[in-house]
Amino acid sequence: MQARTNEQWLAELRGPNPNEALSDLYDLLVRGLRAALGGPAGAANADIEDFAQEALLKITNNLDSFRGESRYTTWAKKIAMNVALTELNRRRWSDVSLQDLLARRTAAGRGLADPQSTPEQVAFQNMVLAELRGIIDKYLTDRQREAVVAVILEGMPIAEVARRMGTNQNALYKLLHDARKKLKLRMEAVGLSPHEMLAAFDAG
Amino acid sequence: MLDRGDLDKLVRALAETRESEIGCDECFEKMDRFAEIEFSGSDAATAMPLVQDHLRKCEDCHEKYEALLMAVGAG
Repeated sequence: MQARTNEQWLAELRGPNPNEALSDLYDLLVRGLRAALGGPAGAANADIEDFAQEALLKITNNLDSFRGESRYTTWAKKIAMNVALTELNRRRWSDVSLQDLLARRTAAGRGLADPQSTPEQVAFQNMVLAELRGIIDKYLTDRQREAVVAVILEGMPIAEVARRMGTNQNALYKLLHDARKKLKLRMEAVGLSPHEMLAAFDAG
Repeated sequence: MLDRGDLDKLVRALAETRESEIGCDECFEKMDRFAEIEFSGSDAATAMPLVQDHLRKCEDCHEKYEALLMAVGAG
């Protein structure tokens, strides 16, 4: 593959004969996807080729959105990683509904104290727990509560939670950020700073 | 909805919360530049602290970033 500057990539892809540049870019994306997602437990070869094809389509449809702040090939690989990981996460979480996730938590009741905690630590944790429960109930909206549980506590990808809540990843991150800020502020208002809480949990 | 097993995760998330954070869209927009700075051996976290902060907090974006680093490394 011939080396190209950013300007050369764009000129060829926009030009009358883009086939060689398209072919080189496709090979580059496949190589990048294999390096990132391949391996024995990784994405299948057919998937990688599909991801590269889909990314190529997005790239050629959005030639004007490249702002020249990196190499063109790095920007293109970023698009490919986004295509691939969005789809892989969608498949990985396809069987999980938000309702089931929330219902399972209610039933699970994971409330036992760490046996290595001192009685003082257990008492402190109980107090923090009671405060947090009260603040979550009183100050967070239903959507903020659902997002906190699914993303922060259950580790579900933000994009997957967003899809189920009828929004997008960026908006859900902002909703979570607002929820975290609200919780932090309310905890500090009752004299509990997160850093002090962590120090108290870890001490002993 | 909250039990003892959640405390650590939630309190850590609150401890890392800043008044001003960038969202996933802005992080994604800057991720390629950030990756190149890091790949060149320079300190990307100092050059782009808000991106670094977002990558530490957002597992979705962090996963894409790690994949991008590997893809860039593949040439």
